Amino acid sequence: MPRYVITFSKKGFIKYTSHLDMIRLFKRAFNRSGIFLEYSEGFNPHPKMSFAQPLSLGYTASGELLEFDTKDVFDAGEIKIKMNSNMPGDIRILDCVQIEKDKKSLAAKCCAAEYRIIIPYCGELPDTVEKDFLAQDNIPVMKKAGKRKEEKEIDIRKMIRSFNITAKNNNIILSTILDAGSNSNLSPELLIRSFLDFAGIEADREDIEVHRSQIFM
Amino acid sequence: MNLDRLLKKVEKPARYIGGEVNSVLKDPKDVAVRFAFAFPDIYEIGMSYMGMQILYNILNSHEDIFCERVFAPANDMEEAMRKEGFPLFSLETKTPLADFDIIGFTLQYEMSFTTILNMLDLAGIPAKRADRLKSGRKWPLIVAGGPCAFAPEPLADFFDLFMVGDGEKLLPAICRLREENPDDRSEYLKLACKLPGVYIPEFYRPSYKEDGTVKEVKKLYSGAPDRVVRCFEKDIESLPFPEKPIVPFIETVHDRAVVETFRGCTRGCRFCQAGMIYRPVRERSPETILRYARKQLESTGHEELSLLSLSTSDYSQFEPLVTELQEYCAGKDISLSLPSLRLDSFSFKVLNEIQKTRKSGLTFAPEAGTQRLRDRINKNITEDDIFNSVEQAIRLGWKKIKLYFMIGLPGETEEDLDGIVDIARRIVDINYMVNGRAGGRFSVNVSVSNFVPKPHTPFEWEPQDTYDDFIEKHNYLRERLKKLKNVSFAYHDSPVSVIEAVIARGDRRVGALIYDAWQNGCKFDGWSEYFDMEKWEKAFVSSGVDKAFYAERRRNYNEILPWDIIDTGVSKIYLMTEDQLTVTTGDCRDACNSCGIIKYTDCPMMGCNAGEENQICRDM
Repeated sequence: MPRYVITFSKKGFIKYTSHLDMIRLFKRAFNRSGIFLEYSEGFNPHPKMSFAQPLSLGYTASGELLEFDTKDVFDAGEIKIKMNSNMPGDIRILDCVQIEKDKKSLAAKCCAAEYRIIIPYCGELPDTVEKDFLAQDNIPVMKKAGKRKEEKEIDIRKMIRSFNITAKNNNIILSTILDAGSNSNLSPELLIRSFLDFAGIEADREDIEVHRSQIFM
Repeated sequence: MNLDRLLKKVEKPARYIGGEVNSVLKDPKDVAVRFAFAFPDIYEIGMSYMGMQILYNILNSHEDIFCERVFAPANDMEEAMRKEGFPLFSLETKTPLADFDIIGFTLQYEMSFTTILNMLDLAGIPAKRADRLKSGRKWPLIVAGGPCAFAPEPLADFFDLFMVGDGEKLLPAICRLREENPDDRSEYLKLACKLPGVYIPEFYRPSYKEDGTVKEVKKLYSGAPDRVVRCFEKDIESLPFPEKPIVPFIETVHDRAVVETFRGCTRGCRFCQAGMIYRPVRERSPETILRYARKQLESTGHEELSLLSLSTSDYSQFEPLVTELQEYCAGKDISLSLPSLRLDSFSFKVLNEIQKTRKSGLTFAPEAGTQRLRDRINKNITEDDIFNSVEQAIRLGWKKIKLYFMIGLPGETEEDLDGIVDIARRIVDINYMVNGRAGGRFSVNVSVSNFVPKPHTPFEWEPQDTYDDFIEKHNYLRERLKKLKNVSFAYHDSPVSVIEAVIARGDRRVGALIYDAWQNGCKFDGWSEYFDMEKWEKAFVSSGVDKAFYAERRRNYNEILPWDIIDTGVSKIYLMTEDQLTVTTGDCRDACNSCGIIKYTDCPMMGCNAGEENQICRDM
């Protein structure tokens, strides 16, 4: 019962599938590929397969991670080929490696993620905006939390690991690494809102594209 | 405005993206005919419908035909599209519907008709045929098929062409014909009406008597058939069936591999339209069914397999088939789901195995509360059948029994309503008997729907209960059922049943009612959260359509019925005789009941269970 990790990308309209849709999609792609997964025990057995981090609906990605246990032993390269031929074209398996079994899951191990956020903007931003944004001692934002989804103020400054801005073709591109893990997690949505406010940019959310390029362990 | 922006604003955007595994993509430039298969409900409902998968697969197997799909957008998407002036588009290539050669709607249910008009409007296509012709520009042909095409008159003003009966060969044929006559609409229709099962409404003009009934139907094109005989496929074994059905990204109502085992039904329940219009029973062989099951499971990765037919256990080789399927599925962690089983000892054995860990509940459909009324509607099930099965189920550990009944059936009296209560009570008692006075966790769910008389059934002449009758009966039942412990009661919305009855047996004038209702904002009428009786009431007033005339009136046997233009193959004499019988008519497999179908096609079931001496067909 070996364990493998797949790295995959997601682009095009398929970005509108949710995390739960992706679980179903991978499960079926494994079935179509004849790669049968190990199942958990108990009343409601489910395949041993999990993503490092759920990807929000609407985001594209190029470094998503999925770990899974198979019933039989496969060559990792063979899994990559089989899965690619059974996947919709906008999801590509970039890599597959066999790993040692570890008590800690990928989800428990991952701590940060890199995002590229593209905001349409034709105006001029002051050169110092990047430095000024990061120079804030704390960046308070309102976040819905807890069972009752009550709005609560949190400080996101310390969850931003790196942040830089480039401007290109009437777009501003934010490249950023944010906490992404079970201990500390920052949704890019909160960063986007707070940055737009800070920089005084007016943009509709539906015009902004978010891409997750890497997940860090 | 691009689609990307719209999709970011709406719920479940994956409903609109296409690109699913096994969906088909062709270059529109390489094909001669572009066909949009339109389902008048949201994606999750439409993608659960096997008929679409069958026809999609067949059309796309033709190199020069490209079939794409379109569903009704949910409310939020519709609002966003209307606001931005974004026209309704196909999932595969995101092409606006108006750019297709043919748009084909499937007519599954009367309460989807306003949604059809709404979809055409969202596509920027005038819903009324007359308006399309007047506009002077070339529009796609608007065509339809499916069960409601057997009584097409309420939609006659909107559609160019209806297809009645099996579509596997007919649908490609009407596409081919379009390829040969791309520009001359009237020539196309003249040729199309010669195809079996094609009804062209503009070739006929009905007129009405003073009492509102049909006086005559005048033929406006002499080459059109006097009656449209439904298209029959004698042998479904040889018809293509999907090996690679589309696998939705999002969860749909039925998200599984499905193989049709047979078409038609031999039971002859007198209220049931499907049991009449799909005769005779035509089966696939067990080998073919197994092959499609295997191929579908391999090509989709589904983890559930189901069989499709009107009555699962009536398949002639049911036991060997299910035994083999069970073996296959068990080895691959695939769950087998068998809908509408008749509960005999074999079924129990099967159910007990496939529901080993979770017994999901058992459903019985006695339909009526007394033997007298069950005989009248020809539902051949006795009280002993029900109670014996229930007892066996409870002994095997089932804790939830669901019962389906209809109210308002012809000949129903108070005794029949009491019968419903009595059946529920006796099932609770059986549980006490088996599990002791404490009884344990146990529930009986009584679900009641309102009888809607349907065209082409023995009850096509029968009046429907009034709205007030239904309410009174619901109250009567509720009062009595609530006194029973462990029994819950659910019933269908009565106004919907009334509208359904008006449209189901409507004539051409009912088109105005549907149009006005849609203009008032009606759509998704089958969804209780959208159905709005007030808007329909207003439409009754403005269209002048009289509810009682269509729903509550007993029709005369010699009256011309609006759907008489369609010949299903089942004779009127048979339907009339069945309507008047108070005793049961046997299963066609035991002896032929002379429904008339053999005038057009062979019936493989005719007395097949009986000895040779009984196989002689009664004279029609």
